[in-house]
Amino acid sequence: MQRSVGGKLARPDGPDKVSGRALYVADLREPGAWVGGVVRASLPRGVVRNFEFDAGFDFTRVVLAGPADVPGANVVSMILEDQPLLAAQQFEHFAEPLLLVAAPDEPTLKAALAAIRPVLAPLEPVLDPRASERVFKRITISKGDALAELARAAIVLDNEYETASQEQMYIETQGVLAYPPDERGVVTVHGSLQCPYYVQKALMRALALTPERVRVIQAATGGGFGGKEDYPSILAAHAAVLARKCGRPVRMVHERHEDLLATPKRHPSIVRHRTAVASDGRLLAQHIEVLFDGGAYTTLSPVVLSRGCIHAAGPYKCEHVLIEGRAVATNHVPYGAFRGFGAPQTCFAVERQMDAIAARLGLHPLELRRRNMLRAGDSTATGQVLRTSVGAEPVMERIVASTRFDEHDWRAPRTGRVRRGRGFSFFFHGAGFTGAGEAMLKARIAVELTREGLALVRTASTEFGQGTLTMFKAIASDALGASPQDVELAPADTFEAPNSGPTVASRTCMIVGGLLARSCRELAQRIGGEGEFRARAKAFVARGGDARIEATYHSPAGLEWDDERYRGDAYPAYGWAADVAEVEVDLDTFEVRVTKLTSAVDCGKAIQPQMVVGQFEGGTLQAVGFAHLEVVTSRDGRVQQDRMATCIIPTTLDAPQFETELVEVPFEHGPFGAKGIGEMPMDGGAPAVLSAIEDALGVHVTRTPATAEHLMELWLAAHPQERL
Amino acid sequence: MKLEFEVNGERRELEVDPLRRLLDVLRDDLGLTGTKEGCGEGECGACTVLVDGVAVNSCLVPACQTAGARVETIESRDFESVGQAFLDEGGAQCGICTPGMIVMTRAWLEECARNGAKPDESGARGALAGNLCRCTGYGAILRSALCARVAAKSAARPAEASKGSQSLRSVLEALKSADESTRVIAGGTDLMVELRTGRTRASRVIDIRGLAELRGVRAESDGLRIGALECCADLRRSTVVRERFDVLARACAEVGAEQIQARATLGGNLGTASPAADLTPVLLALDARVRLVSLDGARELALDEFLIGYRRTARRPDELIESIWLPWPAPGTRCAFRKVGTRRAQSISKLVVALSVRLESNVVREVRASAGAVAPRTIRLRALERELNQREPSRELCRRAARAAALEDATPIDDVRSSASYRRHALARTLETLLLELTGIEACPS
Repeated sequence: MQRSVGGKLARPDGPDKVSGRALYVADLREPGAWVGGVVRASLPRGVVRNFEFDAGFDFTRVVLAGPADVPGANVVSMILEDQPLLAAQQFEHFAEPLLLVAAPDEPTLKAALAAIRPVLAPLEPVLDPRASERVFKRITISKGDALAELARAAIVLDNEYETASQEQMYIETQGVLAYPPDERGVVTVHGSLQCPYYVQKALMRALALTPERVRVIQAATGGGFGGKEDYPSILAAHAAVLARKCGRPVRMVHERHEDLLATPKRHPSIVRHRTAVASDGRLLAQHIEVLFDGGAYTTLSPVVLSRGCIHAAGPYKCEHVLIEGRAVATNHVPYGAFRGFGAPQTCFAVERQMDAIAARLGLHPLELRRRNMLRAGDSTATGQVLRTSVGAEPVMERIVASTRFDEHDWRAPRTGRVRRGRGFSFFFHGAGFTGAGEAMLKARIAVELTREGLALVRTASTEFGQGTLTMFKAIASDALGASPQDVELAPADTFEAPNSGPTVASRTCMIVGGLLARSCRELAQRIGGEGEFRARAKAFVARGGDARIEATYHSPAGLEWDDERYRGDAYPAYGWAADVAEVEVDLDTFEVRVTKLTSAVDCGKAIQPQMVVGQFEGGTLQAVGFAHLEVVTSRDGRVQQDRMATCIIPTTLDAPQFETELVEVPFEHGPFGAKGIGEMPMDGGAPAVLSAIEDALGVHVTRTPATAEHLMELWLAAHPQERL
Repeated sequence: MKLEFEVNGERRELEVDPLRRLLDVLRDDLGLTGTKEGCGEGECGACTVLVDGVAVNSCLVPACQTAGARVETIESRDFESVGQAFLDEGGAQCGICTPGMIVMTRAWLEECARNGAKPDESGARGALAGNLCRCTGYGAILRSALCARVAAKSAARPAEASKGSQSLRSVLEALKSADESTRVIAGGTDLMVELRTGRTRASRVIDIRGLAELRGVRAESDGLRIGALECCADLRRSTVVRERFDVLARACAEVGAEQIQARATLGGNLGTASPAADLTPVLLALDARVRLVSLDGARELALDEFLIGYRRTARRPDELIESIWLPWPAPGTRCAFRKVGTRRAQSISKLVVALSVRLESNVVREVRASAGAVAPRTIRLRALERELNQREPSRELCRRAARAAALEDATPIDDVRSSASYRRHALARTLETLLLELTGIEACPS
């Protein structure tokens, strides 16, 4: 029986969201709460000498907290613990927190912050990642002997590609509400966050508390896109330290300005490709050097680099591959997670390189991809043999059928003031944690039956727009043989739900959803019988049946990963997709208008097709913004686009017409065949748009964002007679 | 002040600071947290509410300007049917932009119904351009908006003059003692942000929004007089503006998005004197004059004299911009406007140009050209005018004139939005194209 999967369920979180009843952190009523703020460094690197306190402000009205007020370790517990919660002496970036302030209300807080001046001694910052000598992580992926092949090859293309940073721009800024320890010593934090257990871990370390004493509850969350993966750990710890010191709840909700200045964004990248090709377009060897600017602290850079490197060779077959990746330290505000997690940067580079190869050989760019794409039985750069759920061919067939891009005369000379172009990208994206990540994490969920015969699903996976709750509801009800009304979802609360792992990495559906499907099927078997689920479940509970399942994820048998050598099965499964972008470029102003974007997407199985399309289109628009419109730059370590007016994202009028076609190549270990969808759209949009711009203008564009200013420079370099 | 107004059909009365943001009044004072804050500067539209039936960003509206008004927020049951469409079509994902989207959608559909216009996708895109969403890619939102059904409501805007006992005289008296840090607030789209961020400190703020004397569009024998408080939304819809000064109507349609246009006034755009102001170039090309009033009387200046530098005007602290006067264009005059922004809506200009050209027997008899964001103030492009005047247009002449403007008139800079070299190049190219179109050498593509 299958009724909900593949259909259209009502969003459990929908009614509250369309009526204004949904409670985000800023909406939680807590009349006694104070507000918290942060004194930040305001230099890219230096040493804190002391603080000057303006005598005109009465500091007895507020509570201050410094490094000594952190009861546990003064660190932000992530992969490493190199980042202090509050810099005690040396600071490494412009927005580094130095001192915390809590005040009874906003005006008092602002006055207090204005009355505190940190006295700083500057140190020389490193702002160019190429000049950095501190490496957070180095990754080498080696298959065959790429350098030897390159040395002997007749045709070698050597190009460098660059992507700039990008702001997640969730419309709800970062925020938490922290309570002081209650009578049992329990600290509770409500937050706008993706990963309750990450926040719990950080709080345990900072407050020196055991897990039983740290309760993290997700509030309604207004977008994340990776931006609320790591930063909430910092904000929650700050608020908890303040709450503890002032003995009352403390709310910290960033204003947009502070959010833009202080929170992590996408890693800027420089990727060099040296590719040896045969005259028929076959890839003979790839040498790919990946450099990510990690910013001031390690944060998530090692894993971002990992995903970036694994995707760097693209969805293509090549026997000789050498990928050398480095994530280095600079004195920029730490870069962090953003949808795609390193892969958009490297997918951009490899797709642009494929276009460069096509142009060099006079091959059609689609034909070049078709000749090289991975098929079942082929192996990836890490040596993973793709055995199952390889969507490359069906995706390619579908995109050709819907766009006839194979017949498009790419880079043919064009005329007129408004130049039109079409471009293509082909990409894959691994679902779930990389390598042994899932095996080590051992995600857990629980399902239990209530006395009323309802199935209560407990997971720590969060809903922040993607449709987590609806998807779980569909999976659980079909796996139980129940109706969606029979399934209830417990809140993402560390006291209510076991650790299902973070809501990141396109893992929620395939990994947690898969675990849920398995558990529900097992429970359904236990209940047995026929007829209406609720009655059967109720009877089962009444007769004392074992009404609770707690399940732990184990990787499917046969997956192997060698983390030392970066060899093996990097992901259980990959989603596959292709984009065709259509653009118009005005030769007077070099404004780019993306008019249409067609995608063919293999996500295994669309649990809720409307939501999959919504996810894909939303991600693709972020990628379109990344391609040509969203600019994030730093000067002296400070982000220059520090307001929404200058840190722009696409509006309705900047968004193309989308046509998103779902191709389903099921993965046997995913729930109902589903793989991941969340990050994948971010990979393909930018290269497709830049390919279309190249088609329109006839110039090879190698960096994002391809702003009007950049395109003008490229055009004038190719047409010097048009200079003023 | 004591604020009395109606919120979702209920009379409310409370004590507030006159400059408190309507957003804070709703959320913090009245507990109506359905209205969201995304940016605090009128960029994202998450805080959109209806004030007297008009969609505005509540983060830019001071409490004092809502006295006696009828405010509707997402909590009102009148949004339920639009909300249902968002549920059906997948228009709500994370939900943070959703209340603003729904409020804006209803305002747009009601306007369509009033005008007998059929809602279509391009209309929806235009109407929702001031509401940012980061989740959906907008496809599902546009589908939701087009599926929603609302009943036609009459435009329920009470006469603005009834909103206060303000008289021009009392404002001028208050201005008499004004100094450099006294600020006048009208639509608030700039000042509310400036005050909140501390970029502007005001010793005193004088609200002039209730002044009936500064409203209205009046056709006079020799030209059109536009009250300084007329907002972009009204001007772009005004029949006489559209018929006689279409270029101004089009420029108004590119100021911010709907919610900003509903508040941003002509006088405010001139008074702020931003070099990137969207309306000033058009007004310069149209040979506008600015009328200033004070207790000492009135005076009228050519707009070019009124603008004296970077964010500086000839207005004395005791004066108020009362109106703008535009001479009727001589027969045969053709105008053009082009804004180049960082994106296609809700953007600050990288470059704005406007042209007015009158040909007689294929000779340029009159030309006014202007540009914004290429100098410390909006400028007349005198070199271009010099090249064209009294000459017979040709491709070569148009190119030469456009280059003269870019090389002689413009003094652009690098800033966070663009570069000097881009501005100069795009200015030359844009002017050349517009000149070719205006002089009939090339057909206008639209």
